[in-house]
Amino acid sequence: MSADPDTFRDRVFDRIFGSNDGETSVEQRHATLRRTRIARRLSRLVLLAVIAVLFVVALERVNFQISELIRYWPEFTSALTDYFPPASIFGLIPFVDVPRYTQFWNEAGLVGQAGVTLAMAFAGTVIGAPLALLGGILGSERVVPFPFNFIFRGAMSIIRSIPSLVWALIYVPLGGVGPLTATLAIGTDTIGTLGRLLTDELEEVEDGPIEGIESTGANKLQTIVFGMISQVIRPFIAWTMYILEINVRAAVGLGIIGGGGLGLTLRLEQNTFNFTNMMATILFIVILVVSVEMISQRTRSYLRHSDDQETMSLYELIIGFPERMSDALLRSR
Amino acid sequence: MTLHVENLTKHYGDTVALSEVSFEIPDGAFAVVLGESGAGKSTMLRILNGLTEPSSGSVYLDDEEITNSRSDVAMVFQQHNLVDELTAFSNALTGSLNRTGFFRSLLQRQSTDEKELALEALDTVGLLDEAGQQVMSMSGGQQQRVGIARALVQRPGMLLADEPVASLDPASAETVMRYLLSAAEERDLTTLASLHQVNIAREYGEQFIGLKDGELVFSGSREELTTEVLEDIYGEIETDELREGTKGNSEGEVPTQEETTPPGIGV
Repeated sequence: MSADPDTFRDRVFDRIFGSNDGETSVEQRHATLRRTRIARRLSRLVLLAVIAVLFVVALERVNFQISELIRYWPEFTSALTDYFPPASIFGLIPFVDVPRYTQFWNEAGLVGQAGVTLAMAFAGTVIGAPLALLGGILGSERVVPFPFNFIFRGAMSIIRSIPSLVWALIYVPLGGVGPLTATLAIGTDTIGTLGRLLTDELEEVEDGPIEGIESTGANKLQTIVFGMISQVIRPFIAWTMYILEINVRAAVGLGIIGGGGLGLTLRLEQNTFNFTNMMATILFIVILVVSVEMISQRTRSYLRHSDDQETMSLYELIIGFPERMSDALLRSR
Repeated sequence: MTLHVENLTKHYGDTVALSEVSFEIPDGAFAVVLGESGAGKSTMLRILNGLTEPSSGSVYLDDEEITNSRSDVAMVFQQHNLVDELTAFSNALTGSLNRTGFFRSLLQRQSTDEKELALEALDTVGLLDEAGQQVMSMSGGQQQRVGIARALVQRPGMLLADEPVASLDPASAETVMRYLLSAAEERDLTTLASLHQVNIAREYGEQFIGLKDGELVFSGSREELTTEVLEDIYGEIETDELREGTKGNSEGEVPTQEETTPPGIGV
């Protein structure tokens, strides 16, 4: 009997999980349920063990040592007092020395630097968006037949797999180390990311309007423009605004490697150990990015006609904030 | 224009959607094609408009075989098939795409005549004041009237309507049918509409085509459309419902709209 592999395996299983021989059908069902439950628990345990092992290996690879962190902690805290120079309001309430930040903003002309950063992001987005639209449309199976549309999708995938920082390195011989190269890098990156979002959007286009335009005797190009693109133009603009948001952040990053604008200021201050000025720049970046985000979000919520949730005015947005916050907190309990 | 259909056949693989269908609709007539769902009504209309290629057979308008059927034969769809993002006017104007160059149409630089034609068409369906309104903010009935306007702007030789009122409430359906009929009469257009509500069909149709399982089972006038004929088209069960509503009528007499429970509309 033990030669039969099925029976042998069953017996091993019975040993581990308990037999499912029961008197009544209820007992049998109970036994099976218990077995599956134990099996599920075991597999969860194995998964956790695998993650734990991988985590330890990863920490090893990045030279993670608690002792190092402890050793350098005092240096970090002293840097923190540079980042956030202490002062007090009316000589009473301790607070960060905000005037030192604003002083640097004026001295270094950060508004002008922010203009450079914004210009890189904006110009890059404007260069990339039409190409993304073209690539997205040509990547759609409705426009270009099956195997050939993947040429365009593939091209966009390759563009996307290369980060914008790397695109900047590639473009240095063309545009030198400066804002021009950064703009080209952002433009290229936009083709990949926005094109991808648009391809998804085009997949969900409805057939009805396309057929309606076809039925009027319109030519192929007219059918694509009026039947298809007209359906995705709103989401396209909304996604472009979202990509603009991301591109402002990317422009800061590209500034650090020499693109200019706020990123460059950030690096210069860090290199000269002016940590207070560095943090002043970072806070300015935060203000810039958040403002761009707010403008972009309001534009997008306006475009999303049916979605009434986000169409609050700026006044309502600010005044109603504490209430919405407390609502959210209470609801999460 | 007189529509003449000869031996129209359409196969999808082994499935026969239309089999040797031949009929004629006189110039300016308002004709209705009846049949259960799956009988081949949509397939036939789509072939007439050129959205679907027939397996064999030919279509003639005034003895001339139509080749560029899409622009000569305008179509109104059950789901309107309008571009939601555009205004009623812009949608109506898409009817002129077949005679407008690409860049002209892209920039909406059609001639004043074309633009006035679009507005006249909107006027015909009673939507002149709503011309600037975005289609997606319109009711289903209004959208369908924009669909009719777009078809009229094509300056077609004939008008097709595939279940034009099937997704509308009875009141809107009534309005849309009235506008469809008056638009066709005003421009003397031969019209062929598929309708599954027999009461509406009887009210508006002059000529009738009956399809069953892809075959033509009836072609004739309103007077010839007897209960027996409806039985041929819809089968016993659904016609029984018709008959129950017509108990008072003498043999063979056709039930009137008020007395019938048409297939497709529950009471």
